[in-house]
Amino acid sequence: MTTSFTSFEHDGAVDYLGQELQVLQQSGGTVLDFIWESALDGVWYWDLDEAAHKWGNDNFWRTLGYDPAALPNQTEAWPAVISPDEVAAVQRGIAAGVADGSHTYHQLVQCAHRNGSVVCLHCRGLVVCDGAGRPRRALGVLVDITQRRNAEVYAREVAGHYSAILSNQSVYIVKTDAQGLYTYVNDFFFERFGADSKIIGTPSLLTIVEEDRPKCLAVVGQCFLEPEVPHQVVLRKPCKDHQVRSNHWEFKGLLGADGQVAEILCVGYDVTLLIDQLEQSKRLLTTTTQQNARLQNFAYIISHNIRSHSANLTALVTLMQAAPDAENAALFLQMLKTSTDKLAETIVNLNEIVTADGPVQHLREPRELRREVDRTLEALNVFIYQSGVAVAVDIPAGLTVPVVPAYLDSILLNLLSNAIKYRAADAPRVALGGYREGGYVVLTVGDNGLGIDLARHRDKVFGMYKTFHANADARGLGLFIAKSQVEAMGGRIELESAVGVGSTFKVYFNESV
Amino acid sequence: MKAFELVYVVEDDWIASVVTEMLLEQNEAFGTVRKFTNGQSALNALRQATEIPDLILLDLNMPVMDGWEFLEGFSALLLPKRVPVCVLTSSIHPNDIAKSKSYKEVAAYFSKPLDDDTLVQIVRLLG
Repeated sequence: MTTSFTSFEHDGAVDYLGQELQVLQQSGGTVLDFIWESALDGVWYWDLDEAAHKWGNDNFWRTLGYDPAALPNQTEAWPAVISPDEVAAVQRGIAAGVADGSHTYHQLVQCAHRNGSVVCLHCRGLVVCDGAGRPRRALGVLVDITQRRNAEVYAREVAGHYSAILSNQSVYIVKTDAQGLYTYVNDFFFERFGADSKIIGTPSLLTIVEEDRPKCLAVVGQCFLEPEVPHQVVLRKPCKDHQVRSNHWEFKGLLGADGQVAEILCVGYDVTLLIDQLEQSKRLLTTTTQQNARLQNFAYIISHNIRSHSANLTALVTLMQAAPDAENAALFLQMLKTSTDKLAETIVNLNEIVTADGPVQHLREPRELRREVDRTLEALNVFIYQSGVAVAVDIPAGLTVPVVPAYLDSILLNLLSNAIKYRAADAPRVALGGYREGGYVVLTVGDNGLGIDLARHRDKVFGMYKTFHANADARGLGLFIAKSQVEAMGGRIELESAVGVGSTFKVYFNESV
Repeated sequence: MKAFELVYVVEDDWIASVVTEMLLEQNEAFGTVRKFTNGQSALNALRQATEIPDLILLDLNMPVMDGWEFLEGFSALLLPKRVPVCVLTSSIHPNDIAKSKSYKEVAAYFSKPLDDDTLVQIVRLLG
């Protein structure tokens, strides 16, 4: 580069360089030219007295897509690159610069590129005044910030887009600090759980159902042990309508600049319906499994009972065929008749059992326990009188149970007639009680009778065809049927008993219909 | 000399026990038959008996004391000789069959009805 260069003496301090540049700049256009051409994207110089008189340097025109050499007349080109509104805005900038005495201004100016796109120029301006202090010219030095501005707009759009996604999705997005205090929650979370921005900074753990908190803490612990990896957990949280929702969460420990877990990011979605359905399926499976086991057991018992008669019949027929005389044959015929009668009786019993099995929820009706007990006692009146049993009833009036009425009748009849049948030889007593306990109405039937050795028979008491006393008319069906009926109504039956002391049956009637 | 001089039949069903008794009496291998309607009375008899049976035919489902409880009590008895037990039941429940095999006193498991073929098998097996 050739230019008039004056070197300054110096004593080691660098001030001389600044002085040198000052002189260099004053001595010719070299420095200014360089700045115009390489540091700036354009310079304009406007005549403030003649609105149409505007001049732009080559760089200015190139920035706007024009070839300066091919521009015959700048005055004609200006209206194409800057709109009257933008010109007016620049003029306001100039006026403000004059008014505040700085004679400078800066602003964004939007110009039109030759290809139609908007070019965003950052303009720093200087107002040049004449000797009388009147503004005469305006100098503008321009930097093209279109790209930066586009990037900003794009970034804002992206941010807006993602923020809309975060807010509008039906997923919860929550962040907490390492202490578990909320630092961010998305709109969906706010909306669903009725929280507002006051929640930020409060402990997230407290919004979770208490029983689930240890589970939550365990997963947070994993996030610290294994950061940047998702850890899953299902937690329950009360909704704004006080319903408890189950949410599936993915927790992730986010590392801070120091490499320690600084935040926990939690992304969750509602799985209440799924969990409910799962629970329902589980319940259904349990019921089905129980029913299946019962049915299989039932099938074996049926087979046993029918087979025992059929075995007798087969044997008797064989014996009859080989009977040595008519007397013998008549005896076998008599036995054959007894056997067929028993078979018929067995089949009648089976009918009774089949009808006692199976879910019957929809057939339940409320019944006042006290009244039903009294009715059963009335039906057994003669039997009670003959047996000399003292009956005491302590069931509060108004205690109602939702039952299948026929089942309740049958249960009361079975338990009461058992209590009387297997009574004590001396001063026999039967006591009935009733009370509520944890979603059940409990009926107690206690006696001071023979009792059952539970150490020996606990698993057989409610079994089919199980009899425990040498009583000729015992069928071994009563307790089996009572248990089936209680269970079919969603309840259970329990027994406390000791030989020679007595038995107390507790029937738990399920109150929920 | 019969293969089984004294046989206990433990069976609560009257017809079944009478039929069993008749069949046993018709077979030359079997001698005297004593019938019991449940495990308890059979066990009582064994405890007091001067004459120990040579075979016990045991039903499973009985009131008061069933076949299983009888087997528990029976295996605890100190008898002067080994007495084979044949389970004779209407049950075909696999659990019952498996449980029977777990008692070393049980020599065989038969489904009712008892007939001559079964008796022949018992003689061949235990006689």
